[in-house]
Amino acid sequence: MNPIWGSMEQYNPIVWPWPIAVYLFLAGLSAGSIMVALLVKWNRHEGEHNTIWDAMVKAGAILAPVTIIVGLLLLIFDLKKPFDFYWLLISYNFTSVMTLGVLALFVYTPIVLIFMLLIFEDTIRKVKLFSMLIPVIEFIKGFHSYAKIIEYSLFGIAIVVGAYTGFLLSAIQANPMWNTPVLPLLFLTSGVSAGIAANILVGLMFFKSSINKESIKYLLVMDLRVIMTELPLILVLFVGMMYTGGDSLVAAKQALSTGYWAKVFWFGVIGVGLVLPLIIAFTALRNHAYKVGYIMINSFVVLCGVMMLRFYIVYAGQLFTGV
Amino acid sequence: MAKKYGMIHDENLCIGCQACSIACRSENDIPESVYRLQVRVLGPKKLPDGNMIFEFHRQSCVHCENTPCVTVCPTGASFVDENGISLVNTDICVGCLYCNAACPYDARFVNPITHAPDKCTFCKESRLGRGEEPACVSVCPTEAIVFGDINDPTSKISKVLSQRPTYHQRADLGTEPKMFIVPNKKGGIQS
Ligand code: SF4
Ligand code: SF4
Ligand code: SF4
Repeated sequence: MNPIWGSMEQYNPIVWPWPIAVYLFLAGLSAGSIMVALLVKWNRHEGEHNTIWDAMVKAGAILAPVTIIVGLLLLIFDLKKPFDFYWLLISYNFTSVMTLGVLALFVYTPIVLIFMLLIFEDTIRKVKLFSMLIPVIEFIKGFHSYAKIIEYSLFGIAIVVGAYTGFLLSAIQANPMWNTPVLPLLFLTSGVSAGIAANILVGLMFFKSSINKESIKYLLVMDLRVIMTELPLILVLFVGMMYTGGDSLVAAKQALSTGYWAKVFWFGVIGVGLVLPLIIAFTALRNHAYKVGYIMINSFVVLCGVMMLRFYIVYAGQLFTGV
Repeated sequence: MAKKYGMIHDENLCIGCQACSIACRSENDIPESVYRLQVRVLGPKKLPDGNMIFEFHRQSCVHCENTPCVTVCPTGASFVDENGISLVNTDICVGCLYCNAACPYDARFVNPITHAPDKCTFCKESRLGRGEEPACVSVCPTEAIVFGDINDPTSKISKVLSQRPTYHQRADLGTEPKMFIVPNKKGGIQS
């Protein structure tokens, strides 16, 4: 029965449900995987292979555009007025993080698509269906002399995209778990972690012939470092909330100890997402052992962890506000 | 000088009858099961002297001066008009609900007909637009709600504000609401 003042349905604290969490995951993964692809492309010059053929570069080149486009479609269809979404492109409000994100994605998405075309040029030339893309590729290659600058800018804008997903939430003062500068950093680092894992997984599954073991090992070491950064960031997030006191303190305590979401945090985010990869790294993959099965399991586990982190922050951040 | 509309809700005079809420619904054609305004009846609470009280909490947009909803809105659909009323332009709203998430007062809901956020407008599109007092103010049997221009020192609201102590809901957030609450005196002032 409703209380005398009427239905409470519209006061559901979950204003942004699961598609937002998935979008935040995909956007972070996209930015992470293109950053990782670029790092591999720049760093792995040694050896007989041209780095552009590295499976990690190919995986990133395909993952970055696919994940961001899927994420954006999900976001658009989650709007209450999906067919009015074009207003996002023509009416701006520069105090809104969402506007800044739209602008960043406006630059980012075409560039990752172009990057994909260039990396897969040979494949595209071989398949008849894609023949209309060839003039596009030729046109883009006309700007060849700017390639390095464009790659560096892409790396920069990927950082912006990865971090903006955090700023999107941290702009909301009413939710203490969101309203912290740690969130952009946390989302950026966990996005890189997801990018590494996804690139490895896709590389091992689809681009086996061009796998460079050295690249994989380089990335596994990087992932370990990223995970070691995420742990203190999460710690700082909660310690910050506790020192803020008041509602923040209450919110932090509740989010870490009550109900379903506290379990997701301890078992999912911490257990599966951060501790398990560390255990795998220090046991099965010790001394940079190259065991494909474990590497794939490790990547899968990392991806699950990052997804759960996004869900946890989105839901617990809205549910536990300390009031 | 531009007007600056504000409102007072007096928790001593309010009896939680919901007349304001019903008048708001009928005057502004609010669809079923959504509300621009509710008066939450909290309690009864027992006071140290053995007496009991109810608290009557007005749940609606408080028309912030520093509007989190406007700051985050990506298209400018959420805006404040020249008289300080916080409004939504449903034409350019995309329904991202960033404003709903940002509003610390749970003031916004999704209107099932426009699919855009809706909220108290101080009756701008209905009664205020015709030069009448907002519906909730007009029907209140105890005159617990006062509405008017706080820039005008001769207005009723300015007079009441100069006579009665008031507080803001969630003053800690720095949103500077133009909704002023006269605290319940019974059992001592609390906010
Ligand atoms: S109460 Fe909410 S909807 Fe109203 S002005 Fe403040 S932030 Fe905006
Ligand atoms: S739902 Fe509409 S009014 Fe609210 S922030 Fe999004 S575009 Fe602006
Ligand atoms: S001022 Fe008008 S819109 Fe606002 S609560 Fe009162 S009746 Fe409803």
